[in-house]
Amino acid sequence: MTLPPEALPLAELQARFASALRAGVPRSNEAASEFPSDVTLPRVSTTALAECIVDDGLAPAARVQVYRNNVQAMFEGALARTYPVLKRRVGEDYFARLAVEYRQDHPSQSGDLHWVGMHFPEWLGLRAAGSDYAWLADLARLEWACEEVLVSDSLPAAQADALARVPPEDVADALLSLQPRLQLVSSAFPVWSVWQANQPGAPGDAVDPSLGPQQVVVAPDAVGLVLHSLPVDQFRFVEELAAGRTLGRALDASGLAVERLAATLAWLFGAGLVTAVSPRNAYSHGEGETPTS
Amino acid sequence: MRDAGPGRVPSAAIPPRAGIGLRAPHYEDAAAGRADVAWLEVHTENYFHDGGPQLRALERARAHYPHSLHGVGLGLGSVAPLDREHLARVKRAVRRFEPALVSEHACWGHAGGEHFNDLLPLPYTEEAAELLAARVREVQDFLGRQILIENLSSYFAYSASRLTEWDFLAAVVERSGCGLLLDVNNLYVNAVNLGLDAGRFIASIPAAAVQEIHLAGHRRNCVGTRDLLIDDHGSAVCAEVWSLYERAIARLGPVPTLIEWDTDVPALDVLVAEARKADTILERSRDLAA
Repeated sequence: MTLPPEALPLAELQARFASALRAGVPRSNEAASEFPSDVTLPRVSTTALAECIVDDGLAPAARVQVYRNNVQAMFEGALARTYPVLKRRVGEDYFARLAVEYRQDHPSQSGDLHWVGMHFPEWLGLRAAGSDYAWLADLARLEWACEEVLVSDSLPAAQADALARVPPEDVADALLSLQPRLQLVSSAFPVWSVWQANQPGAPGDAVDPSLGPQQVVVAPDAVGLVLHSLPVDQFRFVEELAAGRTLGRALDASGLAVERLAATLAWLFGAGLVTAVSPRNAYSHGEGETPTS
Repeated sequence: MRDAGPGRVPSAAIPPRAGIGLRAPHYEDAAAGRADVAWLEVHTENYFHDGGPQLRALERARAHYPHSLHGVGLGLGSVAPLDREHLARVKRAVRRFEPALVSEHACWGHAGGEHFNDLLPLPYTEEAAELLAARVREVQDFLGRQILIENLSSYFAYSASRLTEWDFLAAVVERSGCGLLLDVNNLYVNAVNLGLDAGRFIASIPAAAVQEIHLAGHRRNCVGTRDLLIDDHGSAVCAEVWSLYERAIARLGPVPTLIEWDTDVPALDVLVAEARKADTILERSRDLAA
């Protein structure tokens, strides 16, 4: 027996509402204006919900459409707040289309909009693999790294003389603790240059792809975050330190020239990225463990 | 509850005066105590994480202003279970900031594995009132404190509704012990969109439960020959809403009142001027009572 709309249990009403809100193009009359006609997206029916709505002369389908617009706008807005550079590069229309397609595959899983863009870099990587736009996925990885840093706590920075206090014979075995939520992004593309060129107030000029691979450290600072573009040997050195290797092992594994070590360490301390220096012997744990400070 | 750490200011009660919603453009002014308003409100979900500019701003602002945490993400009336991780983060934010008030909405928000991140309306039925009251009790038990529930703006009415909106809210208050956050702009939006009798709403809600009022702007859309108001919090409070607010204050007496402005957030002095208007009405009400 089919229940009349006014007798439906709450679970059925919410199921119908949820179906009407899914990402896609509504079957109703508003479909045409929502997206360019060449875009193939699933068509979503709002009829089952519209049957449950009081019809007082203003079409129930138009009322449902307000919620459809709100939900998609909220999702796209959250994505745009995390990926402003990517949005600027691809343009508003294409970004809106990406947001609909992405939401189909990765609908929001939380009442906290921070998480909406979490799977976007990976999703974009699959979508753009092998195309001229593969760099967009790396740009997205960089922007997600920024989002992560922006909501992270940072620890007080260690003073530069902390390392000087380690006996010289123990320096190679010393462990440097880095800011816990430091993000390290390496790309075959010049994503740091793209990010720089598209900050608010910057002209957004196209970036020459022949600039080649770039490696970026994203770190918290007093006002939010700061991006450091590093040569590959310094970047690998930071990666090794972040993985809990001793200074000596990080130097060996990264290929950083010894004569560049002092400048690299001065930069790490100067940027406030080191939070503690520990003689490794004080923490006789296995490789990869991070000392407390 | 965790003890207040060093330098912590005990949370002050919110006075029956006007405050503003704190949004990104005004973090610095609020952190420095430069916003000339009686109190602040923030969205709870923006304080779920360990760091960031907004968190540091509120840490500083709370030394200057009593404040309220206003949640938008629990979707309390969803038939699907409450997101316990989300609730745990609410609790963590409440412990960290010790707000004077904690509020959420009379809405649902997730089903079938998707969160819609919107405030979706419930039918005004016995079943929905019972579910919402049970969820509010669950939240209050977990947080160890009372919360306020806000009336929603809606774009349609369910044919399944059997209760009036005010009787629905009164039932939730009675069964859960929650307080009410009366959004006067939502009343007006619903009056235009659905034919709600806003005057009867104000006259009928359980007055003692109302501990906060929201005022905001909306956008007017034309659909055929009809107006449909969109509750976008992107403009000044309109004359009709000020008039309803005066009626509400006449019945309820002075109640802490918030100017909500979430999109196209204007300069601080525009928000402060809106708060002044509310303060004038609140002061008049105090004078009449004296």
